[in-house]
Amino acid sequence: MPSQINKGVIGKESPPFVVTVERGKIKEFARAIGDDNPLYLDDRVGQASQWGDIIAPPTFMTTFRDGADSAAFLRELGTDISRLLHGEQEFELHRPIRPGETFTCRSRVLDVYEKTGRSGPMAFVLRETLVTDTTSELVATIRHTTVIRL
Amino acid sequence: MKYSRVYFDDVKVGDELPPLVKDPIQQIQLTRYAGASGDFNPIHQDDEFARAAGMGGVFAHGMLSMGFVGQLVTDWAGPGAVRKLGVRFAAIVRLKDVITCRGRVLGKSSTDDVNLVDLEIWAENQKGEKVVTGKATVSLPTRT
Repeated sequence: MPSQINKGVIGKESPPFVVTVERGKIKEFARAIGDDNPLYLDDRVGQASQWGDIIAPPTFMTTFRDGADSAAFLRELGTDISRLLHGEQEFELHRPIRPGETFTCRSRVLDVYEKTGRSGPMAFVLRETLVTDTTSELVATIRHTTVIRL
Repeated sequence: MKYSRVYFDDVKVGDELPPLVKDPIQQIQLTRYAGASGDFNPIHQDDEFARAAGMGGVFAHGMLSMGFVGQLVTDWAGPGAVRKLGVRFAAIVRLKDVITCRGRVLGKSSTDDVNLVDLEIWAENQKGEKVVTGKATVSLPTRT
């Protein structure tokens, strides 16, 4: 009997959280991917560029996490980390981001649905995160689909 | 030249991006990616945990493969050009897999001073199986 996923989380908004982009974190992230683009790694190349500093790779905002909240969210869904797979991910980016910038992230659950695939019953949890800067300008919209093996 | 500039004027629908072949996936890269991204799910680090979870052993973070296709796009269009990057994770990436990222131009559009190019992007393993499929939109400069 597969476990049940709590669909009551649809529409739920997580508490907003604030992140400040660290210079070293951008470089660490680019190196972990194996991407040695100097616009991520070399401060002098960044300063000479149109952005005036190094910028973050397009998937960098995956580092914007609220660890305490994600553990609580899994409990509320009725699952645990060993059941998770990543289904889909999308970044809509309105501009590049640089070291020292501070952003507010607001996440909410757009949908939860179940489907039976090749490997058995699964639940899909679609979340959206809006990332705004200190002038309340929208910098990015992130959509994330988690697959839970039931 | 690795980071040559691409201009909107020169791009044609159907053009293929230079493929990006990544080094074989090693456990140390998954550990580095966990630290860099903050995703410490043990399913990517601890083989025993991954087996007990029914996954047959550790596998790579989907976001690492998405980082690879992100690099495919920025190697071609330049960092900062990406307006949209969206993928579906189609298959698990295992240790020792060699991932090749590919892409092609789907369409072009210009509105006011913004010149956008839509791309189909994907990543495949050494057996030719697609592990990531998706789309990207980049903003490119014009020659004039």
